[in-house]
Amino acid sequence: MSSETHADPTAGDTEPILTVENLQTAFYTDRETIRAVDSISFDVKRGETVGIVGESGSGKSVTARSIMGLIDSPGRIMPGSSIKFQGQELTELSDAEYRSVRGSGIGMVFQDPQQSLNPVYTVGNQIRESLKINRGITGEEAVEEATDLLEAVGIPDAKRRLDEYPHQFSGGMRQRAVIAMMLACDPDFLICDEPTTALDVTIQAQILDLLKDLQEERNLSILFITHDMGVIADIADRVNVMYAGQIVEQAPVEELFANPKHPYTRALIDSIPGEHSRKEGLETIEGEVPTPNEPADHCRFAPRCPKAFDACENVPPQHVSVSDEHDHTAACLLYPEDLTESHRVEKHLSLANDDTEGDT
Amino acid sequence: MNRGLYLIKRLLLAVPVMLFGLTLSFLILYLGPIDPVGTILGRQATPEDIRQLRIQLNIIYPNGEPVPLWDQYLRVMWDLFTLEFGQSWTVQRQTPVIDLIVGRMPATIWLGFWSVLIALFVGIPLGLYAGLRANTYRDYFASGFGIIWRAMPNFWLAVILAGLITAGGALDWYKDFIVTTTVTGTPDVLNNLFTLYHVFEGIPLLEALAIPVPNLIPMAIAFKWILPAALVLGSSSMGNEVRIGRTAVLESINSKYVDTAKSKGVSGRKIIYKHVGRNAIIPLLPVIMGEFYLLIGGSVLVEQVFGINGLGNLFFRSILGPDIPLVMALVFIFVIIQVTVNIVQDLLYTYIDPRISLEDTQ
Repeated sequence: MSSETHADPTAGDTEPILTVENLQTAFYTDRETIRAVDSISFDVKRGETVGIVGESGSGKSVTARSIMGLIDSPGRIMPGSSIKFQGQELTELSDAEYRSVRGSGIGMVFQDPQQSLNPVYTVGNQIRESLKINRGITGEEAVEEATDLLEAVGIPDAKRRLDEYPHQFSGGMRQRAVIAMMLACDPDFLICDEPTTALDVTIQAQILDLLKDLQEERNLSILFITHDMGVIADIADRVNVMYAGQIVEQAPVEELFANPKHPYTRALIDSIPGEHSRKEGLETIEGEVPTPNEPADHCRFAPRCPKAFDACENVPPQHVSVSDEHDHTAACLLYPEDLTESHRVEKHLSLANDDTEGDT
Repeated sequence: MNRGLYLIKRLLLAVPVMLFGLTLSFLILYLGPIDPVGTILGRQATPEDIRQLRIQLNIIYPNGEPVPLWDQYLRVMWDLFTLEFGQSWTVQRQTPVIDLIVGRMPATIWLGFWSVLIALFVGIPLGLYAGLRANTYRDYFASGFGIIWRAMPNFWLAVILAGLITAGGALDWYKDFIVTTTVTGTPDVLNNLFTLYHVFEGIPLLEALAIPVPNLIPMAIAFKWILPAALVLGSSSMGNEVRIGRTAVLESINSKYVDTAKSKGVSGRKIIYKHVGRNAIIPLLPVIMGEFYLLIGGSVLVEQVFGINGLGNLFFRSILGPDIPLVMALVFIFVIIQVTVNIVQDLLYTYIDPRISLEDTQ
């Protein structure tokens, strides 16, 4: 701990600001337990953008809400999960302690800008609220700061627009206002949960550029969640591919698109509309994401996987390195490629056992 | 459009509404099987008395010809709009209508005031409470309470409650609780609720102004007396407020802007009173304002059961009369109250919800 605070400032660039380890978030209903996030681990370094990509229902948003401490009953973060933010363990915090992390530590931009601003207060009022809570700025100074923030996110005539209500803003403007509101908290880390999904493509590109600029200016770390592979390719430095509550592949963004290893990642990339889909029709992945209501003792993608074999049904795949040069892992029984099938299965089984032993 | 202009426009539009309401009441009364002359004079009346009274009530001309309906209609309407309410026919013969109404007003205002207030101060907090603790036993208890109050009809509840208190039922103790009071009839304390202090004695013009200071003991007695009736009159509104309040809070608390506010680090308490509270009031506004509709209709019934000498009771008796000048004057007042409440509600909306504007949509 203490060595971290005294660390060399240049070394800080590679140190993770957020480390998620073995995060499990489950929802308990009368009928079943849904393991919406099932033992995922990843980290985000200072000033970097990490993407989480996956289909609807893969647990992306629950991951974000778990980090923000916004999981409500009947949901629960399971014991053994760890979310470390700047060295502080978040899962053990009380409500009041969490409040001091939210805003000034971690900010979050939600998917739908139509609904994430309170309709009965002016945009200025809501930005000033952020300023007051997180930075103690009030009065005339707050108005000026709020004006600067709106200008920083590219809203023209900012002074006048502070006194307008959210419904007087267009969709893209509203998302800019939400981003300004989060920047007003001066966070070190920003979670963007599908911030561009509700916007049309040109506005989407503007918002992505805005986020990139802000990241550069403020050395922000960003966790960017989306289902859009194109957006991920544009903004992320490193990518986690999520499927049914688990991360199935982790890689730097160029590596992921150049050498996708997991069959699911490949299928996702193949289903991006492009030159070849014009001729042969769009590739799709048959079926849909299963509800993760059973323990992970098998590969959850197996029923939809074109390369599945018998062992996929009863061996839980573990993350193994799939590249010599890059930090690239995939959780699939097809890897490591240089081993025979039975050796691979054995390796995954022994890794899985090590894991459970480590837990107890 | 600014609010002043809007107000003027709404006031002008209120005139046809009033005309319509009054015309309808006039037609229902005059086309119905009424015989005010018979009611006033009784069976022993001589034909000459009857003739004289008919002329006096403007039913026939002195030459014996009947006055056509449109002529009667125009006279009645003209009198109303020039605020000439005339004299009572049957309820209290030859007493000016305005005196009758003013005399009955305090009881009804007192009843209405408490029934709105009790419903408001019990219903809304209970609804918000239920919403904040949704799907817990406390919520079930609070919303169950709301549903029961909503479900009990006025007329039934009034009879049961009056019976339990006055006829030696389970609530018999209420009469002697703290101070001995009745719960039926109209006590004299009503005329003694305020003392007027003429503080500007000797100063011209301001002299007429008096400051009303409440008299606490008569107030307490009057409150205890009106409580059962006010509870009955406010019961269904109270139930509605619990239910709508709960839904409104639930809807607001699960919205994205509450998540966003949490993400900014806003404290739980501030989220409730700033972000949830104001949004939850929006759907409650029509329920609260709707209480006034219920009061006018409901007071007729509740005043009848509890024997309160108020406007509702007066209205009922004037219709039975029939005491047409009194009925028309009361309808006139009720329509004015209603139109005013509607305008106030629409103006309040623009203050509470900025998405509602007074601009024309084209």
